[in-house]
Amino acid sequence: MNIEVSCNKLSHALNTVSRVAVGKVTLPILNNVLIRVDDKKVSLITTNLDMAVVDYLPVSSSENGVITVPAKLLTEFVSNLPKSETVKISASDTKVQINAGKYSSTINGAPADDFPELPELDEEKAVTFKLGIDDFKVSVGQVIIASSNDLTRPALTGVYFNTLDGTLAIAATDGYRLAEKKLIEKVESEVKAIVPTITLQEVLRSITDDVEEIEISFNDDLVRFRLGEVEIISKLIDASFPDYQKLIPKNNNIHLELDREELIRTTKLAALFARSVGGSIICEAATPDTFSIKSVANEFGENDSRIETTVETPGRINLNSRFLLDALNAITDSTVEFHFSDHVAPALLKNKNNDKYTHIIMPLNS
Amino acid sequence: MFDIWKNVLAEIEQKISPANFSTWFQDTSILSAENGNIVIGVKNSFYVKQLRTRYYDLIKEAFISHQIPVSSLDFEVKTKVKSKIRAKEITKSSSPTTDRVEHIKVIKTPRLTPSKPSNGLNAKYTMDNFVIGSNNDLAVSAAKSIIDSPGSRFNPFFLYGGPGLGKTHLIQAIGNDLSHRYTDYKILYTPISDFYSEFVDYVRTGRGKEFSQKYQSLDCLIIDDFQFIVGKEKSQEEFFNIFNNLYQRGKQIIVTSDRLPSQIKTVDERLASRLTWAGAFDLQLPKFEDKCAILRAKAELAGADIEPEAIEYIAENVNTNIRDLEGEFSTILLMSEVRGLTPLELIRNGSVSVSHTSKLRPTSPKQIVDKVAKYYNLSTKELCSKSRVANVKNARQVAMYILSKELNLSTNKIAPEVGVKDHTTVMHGIKKIEQDLKLNFTLRDQIAEIKEKIYG
Repeated sequence: MNIEVSCNKLSHALNTVSRVAVGKVTLPILNNVLIRVDDKKVSLITTNLDMAVVDYLPVSSSENGVITVPAKLLTEFVSNLPKSETVKISASDTKVQINAGKYSSTINGAPADDFPELPELDEEKAVTFKLGIDDFKVSVGQVIIASSNDLTRPALTGVYFNTLDGTLAIAATDGYRLAEKKLIEKVESEVKAIVPTITLQEVLRSITDDVEEIEISFNDDLVRFRLGEVEIISKLIDASFPDYQKLIPKNNNIHLELDREELIRTTKLAALFARSVGGSIICEAATPDTFSIKSVANEFGENDSRIETTVETPGRINLNSRFLLDALNAITDSTVEFHFSDHVAPALLKNKNNDKYTHIIMPLNS
Repeated sequence: MFDIWKNVLAEIEQKISPANFSTWFQDTSILSAENGNIVIGVKNSFYVKQLRTRYYDLIKEAFISHQIPVSSLDFEVKTKVKSKIRAKEITKSSSPTTDRVEHIKVIKTPRLTPSKPSNGLNAKYTMDNFVIGSNNDLAVSAAKSIIDSPGSRFNPFFLYGGPGLGKTHLIQAIGNDLSHRYTDYKILYTPISDFYSEFVDYVRTGRGKEFSQKYQSLDCLIIDDFQFIVGKEKSQEEFFNIFNNLYQRGKQIIVTSDRLPSQIKTVDERLASRLTWAGAFDLQLPKFEDKCAILRAKAELAGADIEPEAIEYIAENVNTNIRDLEGEFSTILLMSEVRGLTPLELIRNGSVSVSHTSKLRPTSPKQIVDKVAKYYNLSTKELCSKSRVANVKNARQVAMYILSKELNLSTNKIAPEVGVKDHTTVMHGIKKIEQDLKLNFTLRDQIAEIKEKIYG
């Protein structure tokens, strides 16, 4: 095996794939990156058996072959080389020789035969969606914040991709809040699949400036994301996601329109006094025109801030300030719609100008 | 057969490295083994691929060395829940290319929705899942008699009651049972609003006669929400004619409404009296035991395990109607699924509060004062005395607060109820409780409990 490649590109590709190749001690080969050269096309592959990352790399000259190398060592070595250098990698047996101008090293690799075979999607049966990368990035970012990391409840540790009435939506919940975003309208296939949050975080990290579109394919228990030269294959979570549509409140009787920046500031101020009570703040609407947020920390003092807005029905709700801030940061419009109810029902937040994003927060006990 | 897998694994363990063994063979099991076709269950697709390509021969040999003939060996992902991923049929014209960024075109095939029977009935309503209790047993026995001999004793069958008590369920169940028992029976269920909009359509297109014919050909006509006939004179007339025609020929007519026909304004007297010829049956608010029975039936249907205490709590606290009862119940089940707590735990830690209380329940100021006094272990006389002892004073102020909030009484009217001379004392008392409520969570709970007692 023999390749010549720009140090910059190699370093970038190694950074993309190597994050997956750490931490598994049971099978040492999983700490390695597989380098395969096939007709001037180099693929770098890592996997942790829940997910695999593949990056394709164009090279100037090459000789076919395949080898695995400890991912962390190779990544760190290459990233410390001058970016302008051309890196030459050659392998004979399991010795991998790396040369870049004045710098050279030999790394002990392992034969590719020990590296796991990757699963493949059945292209004919797979369901595929395509989406602009910016849209994807923003939407997943808006939803992923509500997902849980409680491993005893596997269904909540992922983002639920589901089609309902021809719309593909993504949703996540940790039992205290729920975020939903309508991703693509007018889809014809059906999908109900939970993609692990960890996988999506990896996908988000792999997005580079030159990528414009992402392709998402589902088949059996697998999902594949393709963005530019990077391909991420992951298992889906084997659990059923709660029927979350029923959680979205329909009968909230208090409807407010608030300036997002102002609401964020007010919430942050109230949060300062809410630390000792687990972030609990009291949101209150009073007719005709006052919305206020109060918080009380018995030992430090209390806070009471007001925002002017039109109030038709008065009422109050106790919310967790951190959850409210998360929701407000996920909202993109300058005006946010805030709906709640004077009996125990979740609060609902959304953009004033579109219905694509919905965020609901369970009220706290008062 | 399934014990064999342990022996096979032991054999494999000796042949490969411990790291490989523990990685690839952990959590594997035999899913099926028929005629030598062995299927092995694994964690996910990563494992399927690896075992199939790298360990196939090894596993097969291990089986054979245990004298187990293997004609085929396959690997499958063990799933608890099947992800539903369904591509619609792939178009042949744009056959999938090997280009790795080619988008796979999918086209839509007819969606399989349960075909809606043309009789307007919803099959989910049956007599079997209608919970019988003291609040509806009369109506139910009449319904059963109709199913046994339609068009005889209880014709027309007039059913009335408030919203959410099961009127629609019961009449749809009658319709469904009739259509199962008498397969050639022509049954039509229609809310009165659909009846008159259909009537208007037919008349506008000059087919008024067709409309009459359609309805007169029925063996059983079921009309829901008859009260909405108000102000639709022409439709009422048409209905009256259809009614007479069907009735004379002994066809079953079933009508529901939220009140008696004589109480619906603008309903012709002749029609009103005819509708209740065979009596009017009402569905009442369920009693506590009925509510528990409904919830238990619903829990069983949902396959949910819910504590008796939780059922009793919900039954005690929902006092409006069955629809609200079922709504609260589903919400709690869903919350319990999402939160991973049992329904009772949810209720205990206050994550859900169930309160559907009819505000219409008449409550006198005296009753409220009595309840407050009782809650604080005082006699009504003590509460209304001039005592300045802290707990008595507090109870008095709570009573003032509840009287003002729940009955909207003026301070002047509250004063004599709690044995106070001056209305400013009442104003002060209410203000004091309002202030305290902001910080004092115990007080808030107490007031909530008292309200529960008042409305419970």
